[in-house]
This record gives sequence, C-alpha cells and structure tokens, in this order.
Amino acid sequence: MIRALTTKRPEMTPFLLLTPALITMLFVVALPLVFSLWTSLTPYQLTKPQTIYSFVGLRNYTRLLTDPGFWIPFGRTVLFLTIALNLEFAFGLGIALLINKITWGQRGLRTIMMFPMMFSPILVGFQFKFIFNDNIGILNNALQSLGLTDQAIPWLVDAKLAMFSLLFAEIWMSTSVFAILLLAGLFAMPRDPLEAAKVDGCNAFQTFRHITLPFLMPFAYIAMTIRSLDVARAYDIVKVMTGGGPAGRTELLWTMIARTGYENAKMGQANAMAYISTVLSILFTWYFYRKLIAARRFMGGVQ
Amino acid sequence: MSAVVESRASKRAKSVALWIATFALMLVMCLPGLWVMLSGFRPNREILAKPPVWLPEALTLDNFGKIFGWGAEQIAIPVPAYFTNSLIIALTSTLIALAIGMAGGYAFARFRFRFKGGLFLGLMLFRAVPGVALSLPVFMLWSKLGLIDTKAGLIIVYVSLNVPFTIWLIDGFFRQIPLSLSEAAQVDGCTRWQAFWKIEFPLARSGIASAGVFAFLTSWNEFALASQLTRSTDSKTLPVGLLDFTAQFTIDWAGMCAMAVIIIVPALILTFVVQKHLIAGLTFGGVKG
Amino acid sequence: MAAITLEKVVKKYGALGVVHGIDLTIAHEEFVVLVGPSGCGKSTTLRMIAGLEDITGGLVKIGGQVVNDLPPRKRNISMVFQNYALYPHMNVRDNLGFGLKIAGQSPAEISKRVGEAAEILGLTPLLDRTPAELSGGQRQRVAMGRAIVRNPDAFLFDEPLSNLDAKLRGQMRAEIKKLHQKVRTTVVYVTHDQVEAMTLADRIVVMKDGHIEQVGTPMQVFNHPATTFVATFIGSPPMNLLPATISGGAVRLADGTAVPVPDRLTGHVRDGMAVLLGIRPDDISPVGHGLSQDGPGAEVALTVDLAEPLGMESLIYTRLAGQEVQAKLYGPRIVAPGEVLTFRLALDRAHLFDAATGKTVRAL
Repeated sequence: MIRALTTKRPEMTPFLLLTPALITMLFVVALPLVFSLWTSLTPYQLTKPQTIYSFVGLRNYTRLLTDPGFWIPFGRTVLFLTIALNLEFAFGLGIALLINKITWGQRGLRTIMMFPMMFSPILVGFQFKFIFNDNIGILNNALQSLGLTDQAIPWLVDAKLAMFSLLFAEIWMSTSVFAILLLAGLFAMPRDPLEAAKVDGCNAFQTFRHITLPFLMPFAYIAMTIRSLDVARAYDIVKVMTGGGPAGRTELLWTMIARTGYENAKMGQANAMAYISTVLSILFTWYFYRKLIAARRFMGGVQ
Repeated sequence: MSAVVESRASKRAKSVALWIATFALMLVMCLPGLWVMLSGFRPNREILAKPPVWLPEALTLDNFGKIFGWGAEQIAIPVPAYFTNSLIIALTSTLIALAIGMAGGYAFARFRFRFKGGLFLGLMLFRAVPGVALSLPVFMLWSKLGLIDTKAGLIIVYVSLNVPFTIWLIDGFFRQIPLSLSEAAQVDGCTRWQAFWKIEFPLARSGIASAGVFAFLTSWNEFALASQLTRSTDSKTLPVGLLDFTAQFTIDWAGMCAMAVIIIVPALILTFVVQKHLIAGLTFGGVKG
Repeated sequence: MAAITLEKVVKKYGALGVVHGIDLTIAHEEFVVLVGPSGCGKSTTLRMIAGLEDITGGLVKIGGQVVNDLPPRKRNISMVFQNYALYPHMNVRDNLGFGLKIAGQSPAEISKRVGEAAEILGLTPLLDRTPAELSGGQRQRVAMGRAIVRNPDAFLFDEPLSNLDAKLRGQMRAEIKKLHQKVRTTVVYVTHDQVEAMTLADRIVVMKDGHIEQVGTPMQVFNHPATTFVATFIGSPPMNLLPATISGGAVRLADGTAVPVPDRLTGHVRDGMAVLLGIRPDDISPVGHGLSQDGPGAEVALTVDLAEPLGMESLIYTRLAGQEVQAKLYGPRIVAPGEVLTFRLALDRAHLFDAATGKTVRAL
C-alpha cells in the first residue's frame, strides 16, 4: 500500500516517512500538553479525582501571578539561567580558543571535553553533592588540610553558597556544549578572511572581534539551541544537591512544579506552572533557532 | 639580537601559560568525576574518616560486591534490577527512536515538501518541553492507561524524547552524502529503496550509530520523567535508584559512588566511540534548505 | 536502436517554469550536446531524460518507448555526474560492477565486463583503489567506466568536466570523443562550455531560459547563428553586435557610417528596418592582417584602445560607431594603444539580426 501511494503521489513520500515521528510526538507530547492545559484550568488535586471536572478558568494563573511564592523562584530561575548561560558561553569560548591553540594532544582534549556533556545530570548533581559536602567533601577536606580554613564551609547549607554550588555544577556540566561547538566552528573557519584582516592592519583583538566572532556565531546559536532544549536538566541537579533547600532558598521553577504537583498533590496549580515553564522554554528555543537560521543565511550557509 | 632573545622568551612564556591553563582546565573537568570513581573503590569508613585519608590504603571491589550481591553482604537497594531496567529501556527506546528518526531524518534531508521548516521547528519545540512539566500530564495519562511503573510506559516517553534530536542528527548525516550518489545508483538499476540500503545507509552508518549512542545516553541518564513514572523494581532505572541511597538512615557514600561508576562507565565508553561523528552531525544538520 | 525523442517537454517547480516545451530528436548513436548558460534548463532536461526529475508535461521517448513514468533503472541509460558520484565505500572494481551486480549478473560475467571496461579506459591498475585514492582525471574515467560497463542505450553526461583543471579538461575531452568512437552509443552531453560543445558534438542544442534557441551541427551553429543569443554564446571572443538601420540598400550604423548590405541578404531587408549588424572579431582585421582578403568588404579607420598580444595573433579593442568592438590581428605584430589603423570588415561573413526579435535575417 505504501509503495502504491508513493509511486502514485510522490509528493506524499516525505509525509509518510515522517508519520511515525509525528504520531509519537502527538501522542506523547502534544496530547499531554492539551491535557495539561485543561488541568491547569481546574483545581485538580490527586487526592480528589472529581476536581478535574470543575472548570475554574484562569484562576490558577492569576493566583500564581499574584503570589510572591511563585515569583521568587521564577525570578531565581531566570537569574540562574542568565548567569549560567552567559558564563557557559564565555568559558566555552575561552576553552575553544585555548584548545584551538594547542597542537599536541588536541584530539584527546576534545574527547575529554565531551564527557561532562554525556554525564547524567543526576550524576553531576551527586558528584558535586559529594565534593561540596561540608563534612566529608574533598573541597572542605582540602581547604582544611591546607589550613585555608579551620572550620567546615557549609557549601550546600548556606543559601548563597548553595546557589553558587548549583551554578558551579550546572556550568561544569554544560560548558562543554559551547566549547565543543565553538571549537568545531574554529576548525571550520577559513583562513583567507583572517589573513585578509591581518593584511588590512587589524590587530589580534580587532581580528577576533570582527572576523572570528561573527563567523562563530552560527555555531554559538547551534549550542544555544541545543542548550535551550534541556535547560530544565538543572532540575536533576537541584533535586540531588539541595532538594530546593535550605528552606526553599534554592527552589527553581522546576523543583517547585514537582513539589506542588507530586508532594502537595495540587495538580491544577502545578500544571499552570508547568505551562508557564513550557511556554518559556519553547520561546527560548524558538528564539535561538530563528537566530541560528538568520545567522546561517547571513553567512551564506556555513559549510 | 636581544629582541630575538626576548621574543623567544616571551614565546616560551606564552606556551607555558597555555599549558598551565590547559592543565587547570583538565583538572576542573576530570577531577570531580575521577574522585567519585575512585571513591567507588574505597571502603565507606575511609571516605568518612577524620582527618581525611588522602591516599587510599587499599582499593577494593567490596562496594560493587555489595551492590550486586556477590559477597555475603548485600545492600537493600536492588541495583541489579535497576541496571537491567535501564539497559532494556534505553536499548529498546533507542532502537525505536532510530528507526523513526532515520525515516524522518531522511525525509528532511532528501525531500522538499510543504511545511518542511515548520515541521522541523515543531519537532524541536516539542523537545523543548521541560521534563518535569511534561511529567505531570504524562503521569496523569499513564495512570489512566496503566502505564505507570512499566517499562513500556517509560520506553514510549523516551522514544518521543529522542525522536527530534535523532532526526536533527540523522538529517545532518544524510545531507553530507551527495544526492547524486543515490541518483547514480538509481540510474545503475536500483530502486530508491535499494539505493538507500546499498549506498546511503552504509555511508551514513557511523553517523546513525552515533545518533543512536546519543539517544541511548539520553535515556540512560534521564531522571525527571523516570522519577515520577516509575515506582518499583519493575521499571526503576539507575538514576532514580541512585536517590534510594539518600532515603536511608546513613548515607552510604561508597555505595553511591560505586553505583555512579556503573552509570558513568557506559557513558564514557560510548562517548569516546562516537565523539567525532557527533560533532559533525550537530554542526551540519538541521537548519539548511 | 535507441533514439531519444522529446515532445513538448515541460518542467515546472510549482508555478516556476524551468523548461517550456522542448521538441528534440536525437538519432541513434548521435552525440548531442546541450549547451547554454546556467539556469537555461539544460541539466533539468537531461535529468528528465534520465528519470531523475518528474516530467511536468510532454513526452520523453527512448527507443520509441514513452518513458515518462519509468524510474531511472528501467530506462537502460547510464549517466556521468558532475561530481562523478563514485560510491566512496567501494573500490573501483565494485564501483564499475555495481550496476551489473544489481542487475543480477553472474560474478564471472561481471568480472569479464568490468575487465573490458577497465581496459578501454586504462583503469586496470587502479581496480583495487577506493575513489578517495584517485586523482580527478582517474575519478572521471571511473565514472565513465561505470557508464559503459552496462552497455546502455544512451549515455548522459552532466557537465562531467567542470570540476577538472583546464589542462585535464582538454585531455578528457579528447578521451570522451575517442570513447564515443569506440563505443558507438547515443550520447546526450550537457555543458556550459561552448568549446566542449563545438569539439564534441555531432549536433549542438543551444538553450536559453528553458527554450531551444537553435539546433544544428557545430558549423551550422557557428556560421549561421539563428539568434543574437547564439551568435554571442558560441564562438570566443563573442560576436560584435552593432545597432543599425537599413536605408538606401546600406546598413547605416549609429554614427552614420554606412556599409553595404551583404549580397546574400539583399532581398531580405527593407528600408527603415532596425537591425543589429553581427560581425565576429575574426572578421574585423587591420588590412593585410585578416583571414580573408578578398570578397566584399568595407574599410574603416579605427583607433586602437587596447591590444592583447596572444603570440601569433592579437585581440584588439576599438570603437566602431561609438560602441566598443573587438577585432583580431593575425600575425606577430605589436600594436600600440592610440594607433589608428585601417580595418577591413569581411562583409560576406557578417550577419544581420532583426533588432526587434533578435532573430537572424536569413538568406534561405
């Protein structure tokens, strides 16, 4: 049947090939999202199944938008991502430039750089929970052995230090996405424009600023797009390292969703939050994807 | 003369600085993982010791023995079952995602059709839904369908989680193969189907394999959805199982580290095998034409 | 017998027309070259013959059979691609034998025919190499070997030489011609290079914007271009075209210079007609340094703007009736810019085109 269809209407072939993909996505993502939207318009609680049928309009949303208990973790999430992504980009660029300069063992370094990307986020969280542990963690042990401090620093207990530790873990895990793609960009960079710039009298910084960086931008956008697909991986890290504590001081949007939905069983409210986070993630991805396409077009299609 | 000496000296200083920076970088990148792995081979009392024991006196496989129940002692956490679950779930979902992704990636790489850009973007945006956010409705639906705490339930979710990215990568790999190869094969007497399997597939094989590895690791590493959709040894995976340790009265750091080793090692090996292709796929695919 | 016939063949991508109804008959064993600038539809036409593009309208016949709905594999043709399209994961031997293997030939038969083809093309020592280990010219030969080994009804060549450097291109051109003499088969060859077209073709098909401008032997196309486009596309440097009007039996150029209407065209023009006088650089030469010294001609004094010495000849840029024209000087003589020379226009070899339609004023 498929063959008959493809020979009779060849323009249908790509749609046939895409059908399985579309069906999975519709069943596992689109349908639940619709369900989630409905739930977010009800006061649904897991313990009271009937509540899913009572429609309350946007009440969950208006409640959230007027609740500092929502806004504070929300703002913290935005701040967390802003700091993390900017630092990841900056470090990634630095690492890419560094490794690009190294002639010996470059391949090995590149491989090592990929490892954090492949670590389970839950593992990254555990790893840093182990390292930052105030009692037995290697960091405090080292600081104390070296005599830099005589008492244990509460890395994961003090709110500010805990945020720092979370950021450290997040950046450790994700910088390599940028480093690897920017390095790939540096490898793909044609020599002619660089030499032309040198001949035209650019100094090293000017060359970097006006030639190298614009050329790298599409690669940075690929990295951003990939990153934007899984920013919520930070959930795993927070879940392991602090669980949102102490006293909710490291709560991010995603841990708040899980807490509201599963621990407090307020599914309606949680779905409203989830919807907000979904829309934001989608906008984020969409934005960088558009940038990526525009940058590629501007470059006349890198590669 | 002195200028030459000076520039040589400054060159050397530069290269020394370069090496120091690289070394520091590698230290930060490798040390945390290595420390965890090393601790997996140390007895718990050594980890807890005060003052700290820096050089392990003896490395031991006891922690692994306890986890897998080889020795006399076995811990209460059924790691072997989690390991089997992880393996079955990750492998199955990867194979299915690859089959779906190959069809879809080929469609994007080789055909022009209406809504092409929109469909591609749409797939990516679906992938962007945060795991926790998606877990809520999926949890509710799966409860109704009886898919909570089943391997099938998690496999279905992971397939859809992997399809967009698999398509992105495979699209990239097929794009690197000139269209004229398939055309030449068709002129040489192949059907399009034969041309695909005899020419395009063998050439994209290593790329497809690396997309498969990426999908496998995504499933292998996933936590947010798995932690809500699984309950028992029927379906719990390793990352979820890792948290079982924290529920115990005293934290068995050595046991956790040993379990971390079990999760890390496959990831390390697979990453090593495919790293080259993966970069090529990421930078080439997805957004052209 | 494998003649190829195109009847009113049309190709559209959505609303965009690429080929607008082409009629063409290619005889059995004929070497036909489709030539034209990029975007003229020549490659699309070839790919429709191959079955790699759907045919929007019209009929394509190979050996009398309509092949519109046949996939490439059922058309018994072979094709050499611009980038050679060698299978990178197979060695030369397997590349050559791939089509035979797909057709289910016995290993003995495959090995025999691959051996023969390799012998013809001098590929025997390279049979175990992979495409990556071959030079550009060798790859080209493997691609041709893959085409001949299957003994097809027709060879299709899609700009096969455009990836080679100039010297190799000349060599391969000669090899293709020799190959066609050895393996007599219908050939359709697409190129944008008029030199390839002139040297290889039994007949040239000049295309532009999805239309055929002219079909003819290389000499017909060169000596009797049907349109101003063909006139400027075939031949290098291109033919000069000078706007003029017919008045009193003479061709009057923009500045009033009058030259007589060539004898063979006198009956075909009328007074007041706007025309373009076409004359090749070879036919504008300083007196005593031209190709033809006799026959009807006109002499004008022109100032040399620039001369490019090429050894036994020089290309001269000058102005005639206010327009830049190129002229040729035969003989090893140095000319300086600013020099004023008397040029002879060989009018028996001049052309007149209707200024409105661009079509030749034909003496038929």
